[in-house]
Amino acid sequence: MSPALRRWFYDARVRAWISQAAVAGAMFGTIWYFVANASENMVKAGIASGFDFLWRTSGIDVPFKIVDYTPQNNIVDLLWVGVANTLLVSLLGMALATILGFLIGIARLSKNFLLRSLATGFVEFVRNIPLLLFVFFWYFGVIRALPPPRDSFAAFDTFFLNNRGLYVPAPTEGHPFAAVSIAFAIGVVLFLALRVWAAKRQASTGKAFPIWAAGTALIVGVPLAAAIVVALTTSWNVPVRGGFNFRGGFVLVPEFVALLAALVTYTAGFIAEVVRGGILAVGKGQKEAAASLGLSPGQTLRLIVVPQALRVMVPPMTSQYLNLLKNSSFGAAIAYPEIVSVFMGSALNATGQAIEIIAITLAIYLIAGLAVSMFMNWYNSRIALVTR
Amino acid sequence: MKALAWIRTNLFATWVDAAITLACIWVVWRFVPPLLDWTIFKAAWLGDDRSACGAGGACWVFIRARFDQFMYGLYPSSQTWRIDLAGALLVVFGTWAGWRRLPGKRYAIPALLVVYPFIGLWLLLGGFGGLPYVETRQWGGLMLTVFMTVYSGIFAFPLGVLLALGRQSELPVIRTISVAFIEFWRGVPIIAVIFLASLLLPLILPINVDRLIRAVVGLTLVIAAYMAEAIRGGLQAVPKGQYEAAAAMGLGYWRATILIVLPQALRISLPALANEFIALSKNTTLVLIVSLFDLLGIVHAASADPKWVGYNVEGYVFAGTIFWFACFAMSRWSASLERRLGAARSH
Repeated sequence: MSPALRRWFYDARVRAWISQAAVAGAMFGTIWYFVANASENMVKAGIASGFDFLWRTSGIDVPFKIVDYTPQNNIVDLLWVGVANTLLVSLLGMALATILGFLIGIARLSKNFLLRSLATGFVEFVRNIPLLLFVFFWYFGVIRALPPPRDSFAAFDTFFLNNRGLYVPAPTEGHPFAAVSIAFAIGVVLFLALRVWAAKRQASTGKAFPIWAAGTALIVGVPLAAAIVVALTTSWNVPVRGGFNFRGGFVLVPEFVALLAALVTYTAGFIAEVVRGGILAVGKGQKEAAASLGLSPGQTLRLIVVPQALRVMVPPMTSQYLNLLKNSSFGAAIAYPEIVSVFMGSALNATGQAIEIIAITLAIYLIAGLAVSMFMNWYNSRIALVTR
Repeated sequence: MKALAWIRTNLFATWVDAAITLACIWVVWRFVPPLLDWTIFKAAWLGDDRSACGAGGACWVFIRARFDQFMYGLYPSSQTWRIDLAGALLVVFGTWAGWRRLPGKRYAIPALLVVYPFIGLWLLLGGFGGLPYVETRQWGGLMLTVFMTVYSGIFAFPLGVLLALGRQSELPVIRTISVAFIEFWRGVPIIAVIFLASLLLPLILPINVDRLIRAVVGLTLVIAAYMAEAIRGGLQAVPKGQYEAAAAMGLGYWRATILIVLPQALRISLPALANEFIALSKNTTLVLIVSLFDLLGIVHAASADPKWVGYNVEGYVFAGTIFWFACFAMSRWSASLERRLGAARSH
């Protein structure tokens, strides 16, 4: 080798480019090889390709849906049914698991020996058992083993639980949920405005305002009031016992109830650990410093402990939420019609277009996951410690 | 007196505390005696079929009758000693690699990761060397769970190391590929990956791939991505001075990484790796959806048998107990490792 070539060959930058080109080349080569095989195999098996199948009539019936859909609709609509069912069970699951997880996490730190032990027992129990076992247990062991409609468990004569699911009243007209959501949004806006005003007043006069009590009233109370007003004014289709089954109302099928119960109880065990870790991460000195400033225990918790604990908790909470979103696919094992079940299962069986269907399904999960983590990252950056 | 004082401070310190204690006692009293009745006092233990099962208690006869199937699947009963031997060897190699007081540590991990897989596969599959061939269709039960967990773990480990290094690399192309690969497999549900592997592998490869291999490939890809993130944590914790010292000694990237950085990073990330491994071993149960029957799958299938219909809760309790003890033992081991490594590092 001539000295110039040698120098060139041992140049770090040149070497970097060579190794990168090699890796990229190997990757594209592998992909090209796979694609070539796939197209050959597809021709052999007579599988069509392209996304035209999405607009074909699906012919697939779905037993549980919250959007309008019949087997005469096309496959895109079927996909939308799956997406809506996934989002329904995931969002409800996140909310309930957060509540239950917080309660258990705080219980694990209780001074009461019995409560602490029960909470610890629950967490250790949950964390070492596969989620699929929870799903099976809730579905085949609990919900399916409930009494038949004749002997349903009833609450207020409007909610009924039996082996065919949970019967709840459904609105016959109007959009009560929209009204409640609007009330909730108004409550949040009022709360934010109130917070700005309270901070200004405290800065100028030194008088503290019971902002959290007022905030709870606004965020919980206003939608609740709206819900009561709406519930009394819209007409409800309440399930009624008739012969062997119920008429009217909306049925949350056993698959939904079991999957939700499994996701909530399982994720709550993990969230409890996140909560406990977050609270323990706040140094004891912080609480002592707050006490020496004359803050009440409530103020200490609100102004000192919670903000610092949240900082520790948000990133692991994000991954718990993402896990729950992905774990909603366990519904496929008990035929709850979520995306994987209706799309990678039923629609794929009906059309045979594996590659397109897999690509769409994975893309939906990646986008949904990205949305959750973007929201949580935004929240995280808002509450993050400002360091200079 | 001491006991009384303990009860006062731990159970009845305030009125609220007393109320909580009473509520807890009520919960325990409400649930524990019926549970004990069901699992032990009213349960049926002996017999051959469901006629032996009384009312009000668990029917453990079901588990007894199907025990071999739950352990070995449909593996020929004259050959199950091979599974027992493979399992025993796994315990031997695992103990050698995991227990720090045993000698020959240098050879233990390569033996577990490279030598054992061949011995284990030969024992289970057979086909030459005097062992009759047993096709994977007949595998099932606990042995399948252990097989999939161990083999996907073993294949995923080197891939995870490479991905973690790739993600930390200064070369933009390699970093981008690694990040995309890791985030992709972490972002999609395992159940979708298992479907994907079982549907796409036969399509993109010129040969037909065994169903079990497809599942293992799918699990491996996911586990590798999670492992890569655990190892990245370890890589980030290695002080920068270590790299600089290696460079100052004239070591190139690969020698510095393999000799100096990786051993330290892997030590630090071992507890996190173990936790990922536990989490994913629980998810091997999902192969049920491609008709592979691991422990949970075979228990579930057996309880659909008309001869034993209605005893699924007993089956779930049995499978759950095995998973619980296995995962609990692993997580305790990982926690003790964390404490030990933490103590070692703080010196």
